[in-house]
Amino acid sequence: MADIPSMRRRDFLARTAGYAAGAGMLMPLWEAIGANGEINRAYPDELLSIEAYTKGRISPGDLITADNVEHVKDLLEPVTYEQVREMGRQLRVAPTTTDIMRLSPWEYMEATVRNRGRARFDDKGNVVTEEGRPWIGGHPFPDATKAVELFAGLTMSWGRHDASVYAIRQYSLSPEGQVQYQYDLGWAELAPVGRLVLEPTPYWDGHEDFLRYQSVFFLSPRSERGTSFLNIWPYDQNAFPDLYGYLPHFRRIRQFPTNQRFEPLVPGSTLYLSDAWAAGDPLHTWGNYRIVGRGPMLAGVSNGWNPDHPNWEHGTHGGPEGNTFWNSTVELVPEAILTEAEPVAFTRAPVSKKRVWFDARNMMPIGMVTYDRKGELFRSFDGNYSLYESGGKAFMDGDHPYWSWTHVHAFDVQTRRMTRLEQVREISDGVTTRVNEPGMYEQYLTRNAILRMGRI
Amino acid sequence: MQITNRGMAVLAGWVAMALHAPVQAQGFFSGMFDDVGVDFSGFIRAEGTYRTTSDENPYNQQGNLFNDRTIQRTPYAPPNLTQTQIDNLGLGGLVNLGEVGTWNTIPLVIFNDEVRRGDIIRSQENDTNYTVLRAEGEMNLRFSRNFRFVAKPRVLYDPGIYNDFDARNVANVQTGISGGDPALYQGEVNYFEYRVEDGNGGFTNGNPLEFSGRNYFVDFPALLFEYTNGPMTLRLGNQQIAWGQAIFFRVLDVPNGLDLRRHSILDRSLEEFSDKRVPMLSARLTYQLPFSVIADAYVGRFQPTVFGNPNTSFNVIPVQFTVRDMFKEGGFDDKYSYGLRLRADYGSWGWQAIAVRRWNPDGTFRWTQTGVNQSLDGNGLGAVVNLAYALNPREGCGGTTGEALAQSAFEVAPGGVYTAEEWFTYAAEVRLSGIEGLNAGIEDFPCAQALTASTIDPTDADAQQQAENQLDTFFVAAGGSLRGHIAREYHQENVFGLGLNYVTTSNIDFLNQIIINLEVSYQPKRAFTDIALRQDPLIQDETTVALIMDKWHRFTPGFPGTYMVFQALWKNRSDLVGRHLSGYGATPDNGLPPGIDNATYLVFGFQQPLPNRIFDVEFASLYDPQGGLFMQPMLRWNPGNNIGVEAFYNFIDGELSGNPNDNLLSTLGFADEIGLRVTYQF
Repeated sequence: MADIPSMRRRDFLARTAGYAAGAGMLMPLWEAIGANGEINRAYPDELLSIEAYTKGRISPGDLITADNVEHVKDLLEPVTYEQVREMGRQLRVAPTTTDIMRLSPWEYMEATVRNRGRARFDDKGNVVTEEGRPWIGGHPFPDATKAVELFAGLTMSWGRHDASVYAIRQYSLSPEGQVQYQYDLGWAELAPVGRLVLEPTPYWDGHEDFLRYQSVFFLSPRSERGTSFLNIWPYDQNAFPDLYGYLPHFRRIRQFPTNQRFEPLVPGSTLYLSDAWAAGDPLHTWGNYRIVGRGPMLAGVSNGWNPDHPNWEHGTHGGPEGNTFWNSTVELVPEAILTEAEPVAFTRAPVSKKRVWFDARNMMPIGMVTYDRKGELFRSFDGNYSLYESGGKAFMDGDHPYWSWTHVHAFDVQTRRMTRLEQVREISDGVTTRVNEPGMYEQYLTRNAILRMGRI
Repeated sequence: MQITNRGMAVLAGWVAMALHAPVQAQGFFSGMFDDVGVDFSGFIRAEGTYRTTSDENPYNQQGNLFNDRTIQRTPYAPPNLTQTQIDNLGLGGLVNLGEVGTWNTIPLVIFNDEVRRGDIIRSQENDTNYTVLRAEGEMNLRFSRNFRFVAKPRVLYDPGIYNDFDARNVANVQTGISGGDPALYQGEVNYFEYRVEDGNGGFTNGNPLEFSGRNYFVDFPALLFEYTNGPMTLRLGNQQIAWGQAIFFRVLDVPNGLDLRRHSILDRSLEEFSDKRVPMLSARLTYQLPFSVIADAYVGRFQPTVFGNPNTSFNVIPVQFTVRDMFKEGGFDDKYSYGLRLRADYGSWGWQAIAVRRWNPDGTFRWTQTGVNQSLDGNGLGAVVNLAYALNPREGCGGTTGEALAQSAFEVAPGGVYTAEEWFTYAAEVRLSGIEGLNAGIEDFPCAQALTASTIDPTDADAQQQAENQLDTFFVAAGGSLRGHIAREYHQENVFGLGLNYVTTSNIDFLNQIIINLEVSYQPKRAFTDIALRQDPLIQDETTVALIMDKWHRFTPGFPGTYMVFQALWKNRSDLVGRHLSGYGATPDNGLPPGIDNATYLVFGFQQPLPNRIFDVEFASLYDPQGGLFMQPMLRWNPGNNIGVEAFYNFIDGELSGNPNDNLLSTLGFADEIGLRVTYQF
């Protein structure tokens, strides 16, 4: 954990230790969730209220700025803290979300509860059911006590939907705060196993050996238009995904090596494939997973959707030109689990280690920093999730409002380049954010699809 | 730039009504117009190159290798000259027919002359090979998620800041050039137009979807409707199709011809032929089949490869030739090509197979009648021949040498071949046989024989000398030079191909994840240009094999991975651009090329992005083991703000070893240059 206030940290660790022993916390989290879907009964008030935590210095609705950031310094990951203190970043504070169903897709959380206790690692380290079959949906280890369990759940389902297409606007800024590169890109992911909504469930016949189909395709600017990559993930998390790419200049699909996952895909970007969801690589291509801390944290897990903009776009602020950071809302996460992992299957990876903070309530990553080969801080990632429901407006995922990420910061600490991404309603070529719709596989996730999306 | 939904819905509604008003979104068309929008994008780019040597293009008038050389020409008495002709000329007392054995026997020293080509057409030097302003756009008009219309216009403007040849400057020499398309041969250099014979004695544009003039060029690399439904994609319209994995080597990449105007094949190498494939009006259907198989089929209206126009910077057809493209006159514009490719990938390995029935877009060349009635020189030897022929004309060849020459492949005109040495030099340069080419130009045209031209036995020990003497005789008689007319025709052929790919796995990092592709094509009974330009093409089976190895490797944590590609190509009949290998190896002193058995080419290239990919360093090379090397280092800068800058250097050496006419690259040996491209995209 970054720098939890010493007193509270001791308190928290004591509670955690008690929880581990089955007798300390107010109530084991997932028992509380299982009881009524609320987390209130698991945590004391000071971990459910920023006002209580800061003794009234900061309340929901307040703006955290350089003027008051010292009050929450220990709740922020170090790079975010510096951004607020030095670069003019601001964070709007929201109340802590206690309804667990607002922290993930409804069906996913339901399945997590339903399937709790049924997952195990097989001999190869892959998550399977008691019967040794591929996983059947939801988080396999909601009571995770090991870092590898957290990462296993995250790696197996990134967006927690059976199929998603994210319409994304990406902005890459110079250290001087100028938007040098702007991209429209689509990101599609589909789960052939562990399916909860899209028939057939839980497995797509004939595709049980695969964990994920995923593609990323660039639509603008013109220099990158048509650049597409298709990853086909085997279920075996010791194996790399097959990677196919359509490069506009070649006008055809070429196979790419599977282990090149630390390359900037487009100019100016500070993102690698490896960075996706803080778990962009197969589980066992990273190793030395460990939990290094637990404690409360400020993170963006709600109120990130902006329905007031017709395309859900977000405002910006801060930085040299007033546009380096998304306008973000954070809330007090009562329990964040800080983990570390190292890239063990990548020779000469530019990253030596990553630290990922997980929200213990839903096991989603809420922050990440990576370190270079010298052990120096390299890049940081933070963002916002949200239920897409606000002010009487909603974007629906079947019977329930859509839940997803809304925007992300990827900041290169060493060069001070910022890449910002946001999930929007629609980008070029009429590509829209969609979820759990039939036909996404053929439309976005086959070789034929990336050929079609390629530049004509 | 995007305009979506309601505004465009109105437009699309009009389009929908126009397309099929009564359908009312039923059945097949259900939902076809429910998601309307339009996107525009494009770029403007300034492209230029700066020459780094003083070598001008030798295939153009002003770079001709003989412009600055003074050469003596000695005519000889033709061996098939008849005693009657001699007597009629009043020369019976001087020439005894019995002494005219070969073209080496009786020099007509009285008609000796000296010629310096540059006295007629001066050499010029240019600082730049290529300077254009280019704009390309793309409009995507979506009617629904399944149905869209795509239009991609490409516009180029060349201000023509070159010291160009202008045929009007030689209009009074040998009465000027009158054969061929006036737009190509009788005025200023025409940078862009693709001109073909129209079949009615005139000339026309060879591509119905191209609108170009001397300085401007507009076409549509894509102009099509696309319909997708599940695993199926159907594209109808003007489009390019790229097959195969080999970069630059077109083993399976056979559907389209290439457009070698503009910057020929010397643009950024890793762009390959994206700007070069000639789009074809076609229907293309791709279908994702079970077991990871993709079927990809097309049928398209045949559209040939386009070569650089005469006297443009990268023209490689010597301008002593006048090319008559028979694409329309020969009815080839009504021909169709079609093919099928199956491709599948299974993790670390995959395969592909193609079967194509196509009209070879490169075509073949043969001697053709000029149709130009221009007699030999009215003075000196030409006057003698004119008189001799007039006194003894051949039936069917007219009463004058002009009428006879109109039915031969040679036109009396400036800017042609002036000396035998020039003839043999250029024959060797373009991989033809100087002696056999001369024979074919005589043998296949009886009216040329009527002018006392005669074939030479190539097995004669002095065949080269005979050919030189005969050629000089006619060049002297022409009063300067003769231009050769050649027709370009097209031939149908089958192409069968197979490809295998495999991705290595190794504990040794450098050997891990190497992507290996092997591609083989077989073209039975392929037609090649006969190295003598005879009327019938050479017909032979051709096999092409390519090995391609791609490797991404991270040499250091501080830099992104390096992309490296190694390729080898082997062909058993023709070179990389389709010239038959039997024409290789000639020299100015030997017009009977020994040929080479096969052609092999090696490619190595890499791309090294710098952190954040704001800069990319690239390198590409092509090595011909027979003595040629092309290298292209390049720096790409992506400063952002929609600007891109690319600088590269093209180094070409076709004289590394041995006879330059034994390797591919000597043909482009003049094109060393520094290039710069500055792009603004929107």
